[in-house]
Amino acid sequence: MAEKKFERRTSLDPAVADLLSGMEQRQAESQLPRKERERLGRERAKIQSRREQRATYDLPPALREEIRVMSEDLRIPASQLVTLALARFMNDYNSGTIDLGKYKQPSRSPRYDWNLVFPDDLIRMKKKKG
Amino acid sequence: MKIFAFANQKGGVGKTTTAVTLADGLARMKVKTLLVDLDPQGHLALSFGLEKSPGLYRLICLDEPLEKVAVRISANLDLLPGDKQTEKVKRQIAISDFREAILADILHEADYDAVLLDMAPSLDVLHINGLIAADWVVIPTRPDALALDGVKEILTTMAEINQNGHRYRGYSILPTFFDRTTRETFLQFQELAKTFGEHLWPPIPQDTRVRETVAYGKTLWDYSPNSVSMNGYKDGKQRLGGYKQVLARMLEVING
Ligand SMILES: Nc1ncnc2c1ncn2[C@@H]1O[C@H](COP(=O)(O)OP(=O)(O)O)[C@@H](O)[C@H]1O
Ligand SMILES: [Mg+2]
Repeated sequence: MAEKKFERRTSLDPAVADLLSGMEQRQAESQLPRKERERLGRERAKIQSRREQRATYDLPPALREEIRVMSEDLRIPASQLVTLALARFMNDYNSGTIDLGKYKQPSRSPRYDWNLVFPDDLIRMKKKKG
Repeated sequence: MKIFAFANQKGGVGKTTTAVTLADGLARMKVKTLLVDLDPQGHLALSFGLEKSPGLYRLICLDEPLEKVAVRISANLDLLPGDKQTEKVKRQIAISDFREAILADILHEADYDAVLLDMAPSLDVLHINGLIAADWVVIPTRPDALALDGVKEILTTMAEINQNGHRYRGYSILPTFFDRTTRETFLQFQELAKTFGEHLWPPIPQDTRVRETVAYGKTLWDYSPNSVSMNGYKDGKQRLGGYKQVLARMLEVING
């Protein structure tokens, strides 16, 4: 409740507003009974550990769509399908069954030396759509 | 060119630390910066591992050119040091014509992108000179029960100066010695936000590294660039407060 007061204030520096609402939340929590406080603490820890599992990559839209459809068909979370796919890829890569060489092209970016360029038929949905 | 004054009539609120850290930060961003010691204690020189010297005295009382009395600290950072002789500067200014704008006149002709004035905790002619020269006044303040009073005192002085025909200057309030876990800090921070809105900059956390830094004659950028006073508090992916964030706010003032 106290939190809202500062959300409405549009004229605060954004970092000040974020810090204030965090501190307000903590202060409000410190007034709660111990059991309640511990529950909130556990919840926060859960959210925090979730955050560490999260990753952001760019994927071709077709591939992303394919994963979404598969997830719905099989009724399995997309994250788990992607985890399995990546884990198998890492196994293949580490055992030498996958050769990146055939996809590699020199990159001109200062950050990377190589780009992987994929043949059209590798990402299947693209064909279906196009 | 933008001139910043770091002012608060109270001592020990982090004026000198803030001026040093932000000046060195600006210089590292390739902003040509002059740091001026207006405090007879002459602490700025010590912050860079140098001896105190009468730079301000030579500039104003002996009429030596700024280029000659400024000390080169690094590629983009010069220091105009001070010492006990700064007291004589006050006497000289007090008997001069146009006495309120002496510093402004000298600094406005200087070849810098940013000038930072480290002010003494006193309300005298030199203090007034600093405020008049400034385009932007930064008010470091500890989040304690007297914080609001200290800030209001400076704002009152600034308002008086404006009334005497000097142009309007902007200002920001910078909470220092911030401890986000204490109720006292929380209440004062809330009060400052309510009273000053967007004038309130993100705070500088209390950090034992800060005190150590001076003893080594280094700035935080060299001694402890990733300490909490520099990086602020971690909040998920973002950082809140700390000198790096405040430096970004300062660059907005310089470029805006
Ligand atoms: N964020 C901080 N955390 C801990 N100590 C600090 C902090 N900022 C400044 N200090 C220490 O507090 C003392 C006073 O700071 P200083 O910058 O000299 O204040 P002022 O110039 O306003 O008198 C110094 O010893 C300094 O090292
Ligand atoms: Mg000082």
